[in-house]
Amino acid sequence: MLKGFTRKFKPLEILTQEQVEEIHRATLDVLWQTGVRFESERALKLFAKNGCKVDYKMHLVRFMPDLVEECLRRCPSRHLVRSRDPKHDLMIGGNTVYFDASVGMRAADPDTGEWHRPTLRENYNGVKVLDALDNIHRLTSYCPYADIKEIPAAMQYTINAACRFRYSTKVSRTEHAAGSGQFAMKMAHTCGMDINANMEASPPLTFYEDAITNAFWACEVPEYSHFPVVFADGDIMAATAPATFAGSLVTSSAEITAGIVMVQLLQPGKPVAAGHFVFPMDMRYGHPGFGGIECALHNVAFNQIWRRHDIPIIDYGGALFTLAKNIGYQTGADKMQNLIISAISGANVIAIAGGLFAELTWSPELAILDNDLCGAVGRFIEGFEVSGQTLALDVIHEVGPIPGIYLNQAHTREWWKKEFYASQVMDTLPYDVWIKEGKKNALNYAKERLKEILATHEVSVPLTEEQDRDINNIIEEAMVYYRGKGMLSEQDVIQCRKTWKSVR
Amino acid sequence: MAVETLENLKRAVIEYDTEGAASWARKIVKKKIDPIKALDALTETIRQVGDRFGRGELWLPDLVGAADAMQAATPILEEELKKTGAKREALGTVVAGTVFGDIHSIGKSMVCTLLVAGGFEVHDLGVNIKAEEFLEATEKYQADILAMSALLTTTAAEQKKVIDTLKEKGIREKVKVMVGGGAITANFAQSIGADGYDPTAPGAVELARRLIGK
Repeated sequence: MLKGFTRKFKPLEILTQEQVEEIHRATLDVLWQTGVRFESERALKLFAKNGCKVDYKMHLVRFMPDLVEECLRRCPSRHLVRSRDPKHDLMIGGNTVYFDASVGMRAADPDTGEWHRPTLRENYNGVKVLDALDNIHRLTSYCPYADIKEIPAAMQYTINAACRFRYSTKVSRTEHAAGSGQFAMKMAHTCGMDINANMEASPPLTFYEDAITNAFWACEVPEYSHFPVVFADGDIMAATAPATFAGSLVTSSAEITAGIVMVQLLQPGKPVAAGHFVFPMDMRYGHPGFGGIECALHNVAFNQIWRRHDIPIIDYGGALFTLAKNIGYQTGADKMQNLIISAISGANVIAIAGGLFAELTWSPELAILDNDLCGAVGRFIEGFEVSGQTLALDVIHEVGPIPGIYLNQAHTREWWKKEFYASQVMDTLPYDVWIKEGKKNALNYAKERLKEILATHEVSVPLTEEQDRDINNIIEEAMVYYRGKGMLSEQDVIQCRKTWKSVR
Repeated sequence: MAVETLENLKRAVIEYDTEGAASWARKIVKKKIDPIKALDALTETIRQVGDRFGRGELWLPDLVGAADAMQAATPILEEELKKTGAKREALGTVVAGTVFGDIHSIGKSMVCTLLVAGGFEVHDLGVNIKAEEFLEATEKYQADILAMSALLTTTAAEQKKVIDTLKEKGIREKVKVMVGGGAITANFAQSIGADGYDPTAPGAVELARRLIGK
């Protein structure tokens, strides 16, 4: 099992207990008074059968507070997510913090930030990099790329999932758009792995059919019964949620809680996680304000609220993307401020690696840099030991004042590597050595590490021939499915098959 | 009296007062003030709001608030205009919407507001619009421009479907097609046979003008 990092101190809290309760009461009020829209006949029937007030015409469900509380109590506080390589299993919950990959539709030039449509080869390489990074423990939906060249739009998520299963043993997440989650779940099952089935809200207070259906599959197909369902709110403050932090915490909680109720009615005790994906809106251009300090502020409170329910927390928030186009000061600042605040305030999984501009670009070099930030933040949250050994009284007495020195002490040799964090990519050289070494910066080191990973890294447990064949069959099945829905032409099928078979 | 009433209508829009705008529109009808003058006053007001937005003096909530107030008054005045049989001059007619499978509305709504501010008659169909609905509206309103938005990679392909359907029905040449949204690039727009693409809402207005040669 991957150990991840353990937060060894009390999480940062910014709300009083009374404020947390006030937000929870307001959430129950919204769930009962206004309700949540579910665009699914099956879901509406399920809710009606369990005593919720259902308006079939408006697709609106109103939830009784008792039922909500009962369903929240049914959620396990921890859950196991299995990999086909047991050393990549994850135990989500408690004080454990794991770091997750990010996504981008297109590939960013690491120097200029300009994007291009990635090839399938680039997508494979991205997966390999994520598999190799020691502080990245999990992969997410459609990562790294979602606009792969010569793959038709309807097949992007399925091909993307197949790449992840082929070249990584790290557990990942489905995407539910256009029913693609069913194929990712089938692939996971055939590979002897678990996968996180996502169910994302479409704020305000709505779940669309694709998201609902994905959760139904994860709950109703017996082989998937241990797949966790992970929720995400997706609110944009001032657009699809109130502009205030407190108000958007209420809508976010109502959306996730409504999803949890559905899942717990379908499969009591189902492992779930609450995902945070809330951003302020940019008031000039209307896009989400990725990477801003508002994301971090919202996230601290979100984490506090979901710790009240003792439900694992995934942060897809501020560290996932930035509005910066290239890898520079803003990218680092946005990522670090959100990463560290999320980690110290109780998130169990934090998505970060490689996501650059606004879910539109991804970069393997940035994934390597992010991996280093995760190592640094992981080191921070692990805190330090206070004991007879670490108080070091013996050695302090022995060294005494100047000319005493600690460098030659056995205590130093024993402890420094445990206490210090050794960055793999940051420029820490003295000036003269920096000149001599070619004036390299962190990005230069990341580029070197990228070459090394691509030249040497191999997936720890490759797919068996049978599993590989099954993946190919699932891709064929997906093409038949999308062809039937009119989302693929015969030419698209030929193109997709050709591209998929041409690259390994 | 008429001038004062029109000023009140304009002020309601500037103050984002939806109910006020509707109420002043009803008073205009009651007082038999020329609805064309009132609609022109609305367009002029929203143009001023759009200009101030462009200069960075106003923000999106201001733009959307003013557009909502204008939209509360417009149908009342248009209904009256229909009764008189008079016709109002517009730069061109646009049918707009977010494509089927996609429920993202912010970018599309911004473009619609700025198109109205730019002097176009805009029919905003909303989100999750099927190809046949686009076609029906294009024919019904005799649109000069069909404007489609798509945020997602998966739904961007729907824009192509709409264009292909226009071709199948033999009306592709009758309407200019402009596309936009997070997933769209200039290359993609070209590859699906759209007439134009712009990544920003103000740019979309310029594009619309170019497409109809005004």
